[in-house]
Amino acid sequence: MSAPAIVVNNLSKRYGNAHGVLALDRVTLSIGAGTVFGLMGPNGAGKTTLIKVLTGISDITSGTASVAGFEVQKESLQVRARIGWVAAEVILDDDFSAWENLWLQARLQDLKDWEERATHLLQYFGLADRKDDKVSHFSTGMRKKLEIALALLHQPLVIFMDEPTIGLDVATRRMLWDIVTGIHKEFGVTVLLTTHYIEEADALCDRIAIIDEGRIIAEGTPSELKSRVRADIVQLETSQPLEATVLSRIPGVQEVRSQGNEWVIQVTASDEFLPRLFASVNTEAIRRISVEKPSLETVFLQLTGHRIAPEEPMHDIRKFYAQMRRARS
Amino acid sequence: MRSQLWGLYVREVLRTFRNPFVILITLVQPFMWLAFFGSSFNNLAAASGKFGAGSYFGYLLPGVLSTSMLSVGMFGSMSTIQDKRFGFMKRILITPTSKETIFLSKALGSATRGLVQVPVMIAAAVVFGVAFPLTPLEWVGWVFGLLLLAIGFSSLFLAITAPSTDWQTPGVVSNFITMPLMFASASLFPSTFFPSWMQAISGVNPITFSATLGRSFLLGTSVDWWNLGYLAIFAGAMLSLGYIVSARWLKVE
Repeated sequence: MSAPAIVVNNLSKRYGNAHGVLALDRVTLSIGAGTVFGLMGPNGAGKTTLIKVLTGISDITSGTASVAGFEVQKESLQVRARIGWVAAEVILDDDFSAWENLWLQARLQDLKDWEERATHLLQYFGLADRKDDKVSHFSTGMRKKLEIALALLHQPLVIFMDEPTIGLDVATRRMLWDIVTGIHKEFGVTVLLTTHYIEEADALCDRIAIIDEGRIIAEGTPSELKSRVRADIVQLETSQPLEATVLSRIPGVQEVRSQGNEWVIQVTASDEFLPRLFASVNTEAIRRISVEKPSLETVFLQLTGHRIAPEEPMHDIRKFYAQMRRARS
Repeated sequence: MRSQLWGLYVREVLRTFRNPFVILITLVQPFMWLAFFGSSFNNLAAASGKFGAGSYFGYLLPGVLSTSMLSVGMFGSMSTIQDKRFGFMKRILITPTSKETIFLSKALGSATRGLVQVPVMIAAAVVFGVAFPLTPLEWVGWVFGLLLLAIGFSSLFLAITAPSTDWQTPGVVSNFITMPLMFASASLFPSTFFPSWMQAISGVNPITFSATLGRSFLLGTSVDWWNLGYLAIFAGAMLSLGYIVSARWLKVE
């Protein structure tokens, strides 16, 4: 692996006083230069806090962190001259044109000869013919592109992207994936992105750290992480209470976890497990059942016992039809 | 720091003057003071004989210009809170830009906004028959005094609102500061008629010093350059206060 662009050592961040929320709990990470690194976890896991700490927006409670070879707290100015930042919500000056936004960014980064690079970036992102238009007239995709151009203007070593595709439609999200892959190749920049979209982390990242409740619970390449789960995950919801031993006794069951009448069962092979399950429990009592093959989602589920993103409210088709019937009557 | 300060200052000024409503209110409000307040008091002031030799408009103009510098402080605070709420403060601070630079750009931006009122007000005063027998040095002294006053008040507003992210804070602070400082000063009336406690406030109120300075130039009474010195001390003290407070307490979001 190449020399690390970001090193985080035993880093904790607590908001407020000693009884405040512990947003980061002894996080240790090493992110190689020139990689696309994903920080994957549910909302509130500590992803944004880690970005705030690494960009110097938030203080560190304990531990150390360095970015591009400089300590985040003691050498904040040097760090901030070498990083770019793309916000979850697009943050631009709407009263300014694209070119004026670039001019301001050049001023803030104290750049002397920035015009040529700015022109190149506008061409790269297909915004050259709109450079004098007010940003408030831009589409979401164009605004996002301009924001990334601003982040790249001073040739940073590291770019932080906080939930870069949150709230975007599918087409714009795909476009952004292409951009992340493209700028990584074209500009050789290290990208640290946070996401709670499994497929995004899988598609974009060379390496992924899974974060939950402020702690890094696993780290590796997507395929390394997936290979940790040599099992299928069966999720079961019953209408009546069920004895855990009934499930754990079924051959091929590795682990059983429950929350009320909802069960997460880790099995060696689901196609062998399901007939045995139906033979062991009253099938009338089964309200819902689903099977998942190894994925980053099942890695997370296996590690934490819960999912990254809350399930869609209409996931259960029977609940959906029941609601539809009630709505019609 | 110069590069960042220039960038943020230009942003501040352009944002202000690209909004037609901001221009309208900035220009019309002081004019209305002259038109309505000045007109309503003109005859009374002439009858009393306590407002100098000329019309009340000539007496009022330096006072209204001074109180206008007080109100511009609120806009710098509002612009800062807008930046916090929309995340722009984070965008600025994830560059090698300090919180102190942000403070200075806002203070100078607000002061510039205040000074734009000066030529408009003077043009309006000409319409109301005010004569301007000022030497070039006196013009410079007057405008520089107003600039110092504007910097002082915008710094004070920014210092008070630095830890806040609430849209309502600048308005509340403005209400709390503006009225006492406007009336407990020599901006509208001579302070010799005030009760002693108000005279005490007026005696240290920088608006009084600015109004007195402008009036001495405009009405041809004896000029006391100490007024300008006092305004410089006020601006310096408030700039220092805002600088220190911003570095320590300027909230990012």
